[in-house]
Amino acid sequence: MTTAHAAHEAGGPAPFLFRLRAASVGYGAEPVLRAVEWEVHEGETWFLLGRNGSGKTTLLRALLGLLPIAAGTLERDPTRASRARIGFVPQRCEISPSLPTTVREFVLLGLVGLPSVRSERAERLGAALARTGLAGLAEHSYWSLSGGQRQRALVARALVRDPALLIFDEPTEGLDPPSETAFLDVVDGLRREGATVLFVTHRLAIAAGRASHLALLAEGRLLSGPIDAMLRRPELTEVFGVHAAKLS
Amino acid sequence: MIQTFLDSWALFHTTYLAGGAIAVLLSLVGVWIVAREQIFLGAAIAQASALGIAALLWFTGLGAAASWPWLESRAAADACAVAASVTTALLTAAPSARTGARGEARTAWIFLVAASLPMLLLAHSPHGLEEVHRLMFSTLLGAAPEELWSFAGLALLTVLAVWRWHDRLRLLAMDPEMAAAVGMQTRLWTRVIALWLGVAIGLSIRVSGLIYTFGCLVLPMLVARNLCREVRPMLVVAPLVAASTTLVAFFFANHTDVPPAHAAVALLCALVPLTWPLRKT
Repeated sequence: MTTAHAAHEAGGPAPFLFRLRAASVGYGAEPVLRAVEWEVHEGETWFLLGRNGSGKTTLLRALLGLLPIAAGTLERDPTRASRARIGFVPQRCEISPSLPTTVREFVLLGLVGLPSVRSERAERLGAALARTGLAGLAEHSYWSLSGGQRQRALVARALVRDPALLIFDEPTEGLDPPSETAFLDVVDGLRREGATVLFVTHRLAIAAGRASHLALLAEGRLLSGPIDAMLRRPELTEVFGVHAAKLS
Repeated sequence: MIQTFLDSWALFHTTYLAGGAIAVLLSLVGVWIVAREQIFLGAAIAQASALGIAALLWFTGLGAAASWPWLESRAAADACAVAASVTTALLTAAPSARTGARGEARTAWIFLVAASLPMLLLAHSPHGLEEVHRLMFSTLLGAAPEELWSFAGLALLTVLAVWRWHDRLRLLAMDPEMAAAVGMQTRLWTRVIALWLGVAIGLSIRVSGLIYTFGCLVLPMLVARNLCREVRPMLVVAPLVAASTTLVAFFFANHTDVPPAHAAVALLCALVPLTWPLRKT
């Protein structure tokens, strides 16, 4: 048990899953984000907000280990925030539409890289499909699903890993309103079950009522904190052009 | 008809078996090409192999073989073909660093360069032009026993690698972003696959020619795509289709006295639309 876990057991703050200290991230010599200070703890629901090009996806890529930290540090809980315990839901899936695949095959590919789970594949598949409202569709062609169902299949592919942290990268982009509602219902269900969620969006309305914390990316900086405090910050109004407090 | 085929076995068994081994090998590495929608890349790599051989013939034509007799051996031709195909495969494996594009234009450029340069290099060399035409024409009749064993070994290694890492290979082929997110070293995997692709195509091209190599690379996978509901069974169906089709084609070619490589490719081509109605989407 780490020192932070021991402190939490004694009634202290929840241990962090990851912590960025004075971190700069970006591509090449010019960082997209500078001096990032950010801590995410177990059970929190974070919404990362920012305009297009503000560095949301860049930050996610750094958290996923796909992009090195240019400066500063990124600390992870070695067990609960390792690659094996992160479920990633991308904005869209790159699969070639000419390739045949079933929902079962698609979701089970989420198990790649996990050791010794062959015996529990069926159980994990069933649980992931049930939690995303896709039970009974395992043998269906992935291409017969609607756009909203495909997005939920992406969530199932992340859930099949039994993740400690779920990362969503603008997953509702391009969905029609009913599909978006169905998708967000799944996210709400996961939040209620106590999952730690990191949700990237540029739509403040999606965050309102769901987030426990907000992180705002603007002009190369990241401002973060509990939602009540963040909704009162003038920077949020500057970025989104609304009085954010009205959404609380 | 069967007796005629069996009678020809003593004379042509190396050709038949080498053709089958090449078909199985290429049908498996072709999974990557088809899954990544880089079918034209297969033709470009095969054509680049022919350029490698043409460059060797041009070099030996300058009198280099007098100093280095080894340059006139089969091994030298294989080495040049493999070097050219591996270089092409590695150059086209990753997205362009500058534009991020997959590079269809780059692939087309390589194909056209590799198709035109051999003719220019060997325009005044009757022997060289004949060799280039043979590579374009495709014939399996020149396969040697040691080449049969090379292809059988490569095919076996490929089968074992696909069996061992089929989950990773499928995820990388279908969704590279997710593969990276779950911790796969996607850049390394992509380069190793490109290397393997280059070796398989480079070695095949001199023995079987461009048409057979390209045909076995993509057609069995296209047939398997029509027959399967998932990518995983395609990894079994594609080599089975390749092996069984070449056997039937060689049988037919022997009976009707037509080129076996072309018979196999024509039969595979016919199977693609014939299996289309069976496609389960």
